[in-house]
Amino acid sequence: MIQGKNILQKLIFLVLAMALLTGCRTSGKEQETKVEKTQYQASFLNLFDTVTTILGYAETEEKFEEITDEIYTNLEKYHQMFDIYNEYGTNNIKTINDQAGIAPVVVDGEIIQLLLDCKEYYNVTNGRVNVAMGSVLQLWHETREAGINDPENATIPEESALIEAAKHCNIEDLIIDEKASTVYIRDPEMSLDVGAVAKGWATQRVCENAPEGLLVSVGGNVKATGPKPEDISWVVGIQSPWDANADYVHTLYVNYESVVTSGDYQRYYTVDGEKYHHLIDPETLHPGKHWNAVTVVCEDSGLADALSTALFLLPKEEGEKIAKQNGAVACWIASEEEIFYSEGFKEIIKR
Amino acid sequence: MERENKIRLSFCKGDAVVISFVIMLAILIGVVFWMKTGTEQGNIVVVYQEGEKIQELSLDKDTEVLIENYYTNKLIVRDKKVAIVESDCPGMDCVHSGAISGKGRSLVCLPNRVEIRIEGEVDSEVDFIVR
Repeated sequence: MIQGKNILQKLIFLVLAMALLTGCRTSGKEQETKVEKTQYQASFLNLFDTVTTILGYAETEEKFEEITDEIYTNLEKYHQMFDIYNEYGTNNIKTINDQAGIAPVVVDGEIIQLLLDCKEYYNVTNGRVNVAMGSVLQLWHETREAGINDPENATIPEESALIEAAKHCNIEDLIIDEKASTVYIRDPEMSLDVGAVAKGWATQRVCENAPEGLLVSVGGNVKATGPKPEDISWVVGIQSPWDANADYVHTLYVNYESVVTSGDYQRYYTVDGEKYHHLIDPETLHPGKHWNAVTVVCEDSGLADALSTALFLLPKEEGEKIAKQNGAVACWIASEEEIFYSEGFKEIIKR
Repeated sequence: MERENKIRLSFCKGDAVVISFVIMLAILIGVVFWMKTGTEQGNIVVVYQEGEKIQELSLDKDTEVLIENYYTNKLIVRDKKVAIVESDCPGMDCVHSGAISGKGRSLVCLPNRVEIRIEGEVDSEVDFIVR
């Protein structure tokens, strides 16, 4: 009897002790979550003809929305400025194209800055990123659109038409007057297409004016504005070019850097069973064939966007030189067995 | 001599019962936690249209849904995977994306302004996936 009472007492004591312990733990956790911020995600599907995603931490969803609303407003502004197909009531790239050979166009200072940067990108990429080759890209755009809508009768542009268009791609005919804030295309047959750099450039701009601790992606142009809470790096997975469901090619740590991937699998159309992607080489006037995908990492997202396009169109040696000169690291993927890394790239790989 | 005896006596049958009870309880708790974290249960499929959440589906329950906006996407959930299997949008990139299953993965139909995202409590090792 005495023994039984003993057991009962001990059991009660144990249960009480355990309840107390768990109790302590939950209350501690609750306190933590009160201070802790929650991760939120916002997506927009109507900008730059691609998916924009913003990840970040905030105390409430409302506070996160305040942040994303401002980013959206700015991205929409750039989307309209850099559009070559539509007008929005103020002068944009389309206005400049429409006035080619006619007159200089007064534009917003940010368009001037973008085009000045584009000239710089042209120089640092040995001409592989040329926003003045709108006439060539237009031919590919037309056949691609027609091919997507009518896959049976898909074609590629006539070689003679491409060669003719390529005569009007001289970036020296893009006259920028910073003082007057005007842009003039001297060659009436020339047109601008900033598609290869606009998303990255816009990403960089919005990130410069955004709070710390966000991860912004505009169509795969990823840039972080600082690590997550408690100084934890963002982890960005680069999807396999061959299988969307397969494991990542690699996962990267990102704090303030920009990660941009150019690939032949993102946007393409098919002609007679052959895939034609959207990254057109100014030299061959055809889609680049060296790689499946190239990933570039550097601080500035506009530069990263330009470099990823250039490196995609170049053999490894020349691309590696350009990356190094611009303080970027890169990874080239030619097939599942052929993955090359520049110096410094492996250090940001998580696994 | 007497002392030793006392100590030996104090370890009685009851103590054995208490110890085995605690051990069993520990094993039970361990098993429960292991089961909880071991499987990726509770992930949900969230459908966004024009940035607004319009529908939530369980990833664990097979189903079929039509998403109508500018175009129509036919979405299916089967064997804990999600895919857009039919669409009348130009290009049909959404259909070509295949099936997705892990948290953080998403399917997008740009022309239809639709995003399908797998969300859940299970911590994934990556924050963002670049296509």
